[in-house]
Amino acid sequence: MSLFGSILTSSSGLSAQRLRLDVISDNLANATTTRTAEGGPFQRSRVIFRPVVSQPYWRSPFLPESLNNGIGKGVRVNKIEKDNSPPVLKYDPTHPDAIKTGPQAGYVQLPNVNVVNEMVDMIDASRAYEANVTLINGAKAMFSKALEIGR
Amino acid sequence: MFETSNFGKTIAILQRSLDVSSLRREVISNNIANVDTPGFKRSTVNFETSLKKALDAQSVTPGLTAEVSDPRHMSFDQPTDWTSVGPTRVLDYLTQTNNNGNNVDLEEELMSAQQNQMMYTLMAQAAANEYNQINIVLRR
Repeated sequence: MSLFGSILTSSSGLSAQRLRLDVISDNLANATTTRTAEGGPFQRSRVIFRPVVSQPYWRSPFLPESLNNGIGKGVRVNKIEKDNSPPVLKYDPTHPDAIKTGPQAGYVQLPNVNVVNEMVDMIDASRAYEANVTLINGAKAMFSKALEIGR
Repeated sequence: MFETSNFGKTIAILQRSLDVSSLRREVISNNIANVDTPGFKRSTVNFETSLKKALDAQSVTPGLTAEVSDPRHMSFDQPTDWTSVGPTRVLDYLTQTNNNGNNVDLEEELMSAQQNQMMYTLMAQAAANEYNQINIVLRR
């Protein structure tokens, strides 16, 4: 039972990291998008994780014991959050989305996506993904060893 | 049939250790799955030291024994039965390695996962050997 439990836990990590990778790809694909349905430049998103616990949170969250909620069941995505940091301004008066009037006239609002940060996040996500894959393979090897006991 | 024999005891110890090993694997999997979760604290599983303590207590006779003349008297030393020793999960809530309150160290967790897997393989092998020895006897 609990051996399959560890595979399920690792697979929850896999899907969470995969979603994070999807969001990072979206950020990178829209690194220069200046026009969105909501208006204004694209805002980068980020994924917030939370642990899955086997019991509900009954106790006060101020004691260290309250962090102890049984054996964890893995991770899930709590929400995908927009980063509200201000857009990057670039002077380009010929751009169709350049600001027409005001003190910032001639500037284009570019998304607040930092390509280097996204790449680092991507490496982080893919390493975490690999770690989970390693654990699943190890659990499979362990289980097949247990099947050899009676042989 | 085998409960009191050496074989039965070995199998019982191996079975408990295998159980604890898979529990530990589950805990390590959870730690690794939550490697990027803000505020997550890692857990560990303790078992071997308490098992060893209980097994050692069986062979050591206490130096000073209390005279028990009434069933309500208590003896000085209450040896713990090794069959009642269970794994304990410990939450490591004091340390912090990451800025977001998370204290999972990926390398450390993968190391202990590997170590745990090898222990599991070793104990499964040992259990298989025990059964093979019984098979040798049964074949005659």
